[in-house]
Amino acid sequence: MVKEYNIVITGVGGQGILTAANLLGWTALREGYKVRVGEVHGMSQRFGSVISYVRFGENVYGAMVPEGKADVILSFEPVEALRYINYLKKGGLVFTNSRPIWPVQVSMGLAKYPSHEEIKRIVEEDFEAKYISFDAENLAKEAGNVISTNVVLIGALTQTPDFPLSPETIREVIKVSVSPKVIELNLKAFELGLKKANSLL
Amino acid sequence: MAKVTDLVLLNKPNEKILLLGNHAIARGALEAGIAVFAAYPGTPSSELTDTIAAIAKDAGVYMEYSTNEKVAFETALSASWSGLRSMTAMKHVGLNVAADSFMSAVGMGVEGGFVIMVADDPSMWSSQNEQDTRVFAKFANVPVLEPMSVQEAKDMTKYAFEISEKYKHMVILRTTTRSSHMRGDVTLGELPEEIINKKRRLGSFEKNPKRFVDIPAHSRNFHPKILENIEKIRTEFNNSPFNWIEGEGKIGIITSGLSYAYVKEALSWLNVENVKILKLGTPFPVPLGLVEKFMKGLEKVLIVEELEPVVEEQIKFWAYDKQLNIPIYGKNIVPRIFEMDTKRAVIAISKFLNLETPLNFEKLEESYNNINSSLPPRPPSLCPACPHRNTFFAINKATKKNAILPSDIGCYTLGVLPPLNAVDTTVAMGGSIGIAHGLSIALNGALNEEIENKKDTQLIVATIGDSTFYHTGLPAIANAIYNRSNVIIVVVDNEITAMTGDQPNPGTGDTPHGSGKRIPIENIVEAMGADFVEVVNPYNIKKTTEVVKKAMEIDGVRVIISRQVCALHRVGQMKRKGIKLPVFTVNTDKCTGCRICINTFGCPAISWDNETKKAKIVPTMCWGCGSCIQVCPYGAFEVAKEAE
Ligand SMILES: Cc1ncc(C[n+]2csc(CCOP(=O)(O)OP(=O)(O)O)c2C)c(N)n1
Repeated sequence: MVKEYNIVITGVGGQGILTAANLLGWTALREGYKVRVGEVHGMSQRFGSVISYVRFGENVYGAMVPEGKADVILSFEPVEALRYINYLKKGGLVFTNSRPIWPVQVSMGLAKYPSHEEIKRIVEEDFEAKYISFDAENLAKEAGNVISTNVVLIGALTQTPDFPLSPETIREVIKVSVSPKVIELNLKAFELGLKKANSLL
Repeated sequence: MAKVTDLVLLNKPNEKILLLGNHAIARGALEAGIAVFAAYPGTPSSELTDTIAAIAKDAGVYMEYSTNEKVAFETALSASWSGLRSMTAMKHVGLNVAADSFMSAVGMGVEGGFVIMVADDPSMWSSQNEQDTRVFAKFANVPVLEPMSVQEAKDMTKYAFEISEKYKHMVILRTTTRSSHMRGDVTLGELPEEIINKKRRLGSFEKNPKRFVDIPAHSRNFHPKILENIEKIRTEFNNSPFNWIEGEGKIGIITSGLSYAYVKEALSWLNVENVKILKLGTPFPVPLGLVEKFMKGLEKVLIVEELEPVVEEQIKFWAYDKQLNIPIYGKNIVPRIFEMDTKRAVIAISKFLNLETPLNFEKLEESYNNINSSLPPRPPSLCPACPHRNTFFAINKATKKNAILPSDIGCYTLGVLPPLNAVDTTVAMGGSIGIAHGLSIALNGALNEEIENKKDTQLIVATIGDSTFYHTGLPAIANAIYNRSNVIIVVVDNEITAMTGDQPNPGTGDTPHGSGKRIPIENIVEAMGADFVEVVNPYNIKKTTEVVKKAMEIDGVRVIISRQVCALHRVGQMKRKGIKLPVFTVNTDKCTGCRICINTFGCPAISWDNETKKAKIVPTMCWGCGSCIQVCPYGAFEVAKEAE
């Protein structure tokens, strides 16, 4: 069992980030790990930038991933991956949903949204990390509902090289976590994300 | 990942589950057998309050959402005087509201265990200041416990009740945003029979004026007793299961609460062994017997704690009297502002031990800052379909931006951000009305004053939420009406306490035990003698603008109740019922690309299409209020034919 594994999940408030973190936390618990999940509630949940942490292993005590120690960043929105890039370890991996959500100031013309190439370049060159992006929202729609975007991304996350949690345990946790009506939908979303990431790696 | 209510009531001792810190405290309170819980919500304490509300009936616990923290404190305190274990919870600034009763009641003591959960917010993730409750606890001479893990949060809660009852002294359980909002593995303890059998207990109150009436003649006996009690509790804490010494060596680190977690991680990151650690869960009173034992043979010591030097001051005070002659480091190398974390612990310990840090944090920060400063900011914003946006939009329109706009604490505080820019001041809950009144007195004078050469009246329009109105707005509005203020007060009544997670309040009339009594705000201000009272629905922007204009035509305290239920709450309910929302879209033939919608209204669902140079609606973010139709002068918004 790994002694310390660190996942950072980022995105925009309302995208289902807390649910994703909680699901991974329960999975790690089920696999017998000591677990810490860190989340911020309150104000930032209102469409603000959000970060959440999932950590497990015997060396883990606090809820926050230390800067420079995240094994992987799972981002629900491209710019939000960059906003927390300082958490990623050297040679780490970024998985991101490719669909931007423009902050109001960008729509107002007061700020600029970086291009996709720019984001990729910074992650790869300045932070020496691997950058993988795909349209998770589209896959979620394919599975049956955009709401399952977070599960698509978790499916992708399992393809991180040396990812310690087994996809099978995640499926089990999904089955006991979501309402019976949407189990199939979520499992499908999970497989779609998993396959997509596998094809991109 | 079962439902929180099921997890918290799970009757399986020794089962290991994942719980949020605040949920674990709820569980701890149940394991301790609480009978009464009263609180006013506040991030980061609210999940405790809401969890107790959700399970109250199933656990035989009385739970109420009180109108403010002082009332909640008094409610829970007197339940304790009646022999029941009771609890209140609040965010750090809530203790300021409760402070008057809190400070005076300490010496009266308790009967049933009485625990005050206070949640601090280092780094101010959702608060107006960064005050450290441990300082407050020391000031009041109330013992304070501080957990370092979710397991401790649960176990400490139970322990807090035991200590409180044993010494007949109230106890504070102090969390932070991190400890309240972290999930961790917890091994459950046993639930008492009464909780399992949903048996609501009632207490009995024995009169004792010498104890419960704090006239000076009685109160003079309190202070010596309080100090005596604190020394007894200090001795008790030498053997507390939450205080211990670990490791060996000539170098010592003393740490309290969650800082222990960061110290442990920092030491393993730095590969440092041979350090002796004193882990404290009781930052006040510090168990000096244990400290003395710890200090034996040490050559130097570092104290790592978040925010104020509460432990440090007690230890240095003691060390001076003991003529202990070793260096004790603390706030000279550990930051006193913002939240503690592993990086900060690594940097402090590296300085303390003259070591290199495992990463070049300065370089990392520099390259990160370069990137971060180029990113578009994404502050939180009012939700799509939020009625507050419409109210601010109407105020801006009616006042032509010539008014001073004091506001208050709640979701609507976000009206400060562009493009609305409709909040000029906020201080603390209920403050909008006092500030508006003071400005009116300073700039216009009271209506009953005779002032020569008066200038034009400065228009002042305050905004205050419904929950905030009941919390501390009431005495302020009585003051403004009584003292002949000249202000418009807009109560942005979204019929819920939205910011903290949809709690009921006297305006909704719901309680965890069924329907309470609804107290309409218009009735209150009518009875108080406001000069103008009107209720309006902000989803009708034209009508709302007209009502503000009408209010502007007269002098006096004019109250407008802008009432429309919270969109997040409404949409949540609709989704649960499977009701589809209408979705709006932009007719690109009609859109002129003028950006009025974006630059004056700012709904997050309305975005800019760089290719067509026109507005567009992000369908997944549109909650179907249709306000955009009223905002666009060109009729470019319409219902989408196909809702997604
Ligand atoms: C003394 C104090 N108690 C609690 C809070 C936490 N808090 C912030 S806003 C708010 C309630 C706001 O409700 P309301 O006034 O109805 O506005 P809404 O968020 O619904 O728009 C609370 C309880 C606080 N900031 N200060």
